[in-house]
Amino acid sequence: MSAMIANLRDWLPELLVAAGDTLEMTVCAFILAAAAGLVLALMRLARARALSVAAHWYIEIVRGAPALTLLFLLYFGLPGIGVTLQAFVAAVLALGLNGAAYLAEVYRAGIEAIDKGQREAAQAIGMTRPQLMRWIVLPQSVRIILPSMGNYSVALLKDTSIASLISAPELMLRARDLTSEYYMPMEIFLLVGAMYFAMAFPLSWGVRRMELRMQRR
Amino acid sequence: MIESWGRAIALFPHFAEVLLLAAITTVEITVGGFVIAVILGLAFGILKTSPHRTRRAIATVYVEVFRSVPVLTQLFIIYFGLGEIGVRLDPLSAAIIGFGINGGAYLTEVFRSGIEAIHAGQMEASFAIGMTRPQTMRYIIVPQAVRIVLPPIGNYVIGLLKETSIASAVAAPELMYQAGTLIRQTFLSSQIYLMVAVIYLCMSLPLSRLTRHLESRMGKGKAAGGATR
Repeated sequence: MSAMIANLRDWLPELLVAAGDTLEMTVCAFILAAAAGLVLALMRLARARALSVAAHWYIEIVRGAPALTLLFLLYFGLPGIGVTLQAFVAAVLALGLNGAAYLAEVYRAGIEAIDKGQREAAQAIGMTRPQLMRWIVLPQSVRIILPSMGNYSVALLKDTSIASLISAPELMLRARDLTSEYYMPMEIFLLVGAMYFAMAFPLSWGVRRMELRMQRR
Repeated sequence: MIESWGRAIALFPHFAEVLLLAAITTVEITVGGFVIAVILGLAFGILKTSPHRTRRAIATVYVEVFRSVPVLTQLFIIYFGLGEIGVRLDPLSAAIIGFGINGGAYLTEVFRSGIEAIHAGQMEASFAIGMTRPQTMRYIIVPQAVRIVLPPIGNYVIGLLKETSIASAVAAPELMYQAGTLIRQTFLSSQIYLMVAVIYLCMSLPLSRLTRHLESRMGKGKAAGGATR
């Protein structure tokens, strides 16, 4: 028992730092996914056919292949054409570009869920397209989009664990290092699992609360 | 760079053979994990809609714990962790069990919402004619809920198919793992990972077409059902 406490004293500081890296990676990838996803969604809804087709295929291809292939292509494949990325950067790019395809569909569903009559009514009273987006469509879409974005952030937080497979510094990599040092995989991975739970559960609880509040209105 | 593409084209038949065989293992893990996930999801989904508080609590704990921890961590606990305490699983079984238990938590919520979508009057009616709760579930609720949950289950299968790539981390000989082996032999990483992406797309795109088809048919089914009621 005291040996276990001594081990915990060794592991916890390192794992907490690594959990900080996991959160940092999650936030960076989330921002990239939210921004790139918005661009994709606008392209998808654009009147220019080339833009909308390009966005459509980006979304289909990226959502059809595992995030891990994109991650490995960026990290192991790009050096072949002279672009070498840091593991952390490659992980943020891969997770962010992967998430963008997902969030683009979320945005689109949110915008398309608003009844067409509202748009027509806004145009009838003389609003321009940007105006009706700003004042009529988006305020309502946000209620549909936000819970999905919240759920995505929970999934992303867990998905950052695959960044350990390209040795990007985060929680899972630190755990693997510790297991090769101490050879106590059960204890270490259970502890790490508990740490992910401590981050992901409050987040998903918060998202559910938000979902309920948005439905009530 | 041109040289490496030349080499990749020369080696293409070899790559295709190895990767397509590995894709079969990917499908095996997907199917194996899916079967376990459906069984667990249905069982816990029924528990989650139970009138008993403890049964509901058991299902809730299962769902929340397994949905809040990355599947990679769960795989490592099953493969390396259980190995430490003497339960040694081969990588393939560890992957199937890991994805099955993890997916079960997700499908529990899917089945719960399917069961709850069936009108409460149906359950009351079957109780009124003397059916027990298990009988009601078996003959009245679940057969109807299955229709409702088919589209989300389809989406889950697509997600699972892609997620099995993580099994490469416990050396299960699936697509991603064999791609890594080929790359260590030939150093043609971009070419091989692009092939891998294409193989995944060939499997997932038809599945997502099918799911969308199911979704639109279900939508129609619902409308028709509403009209007859």
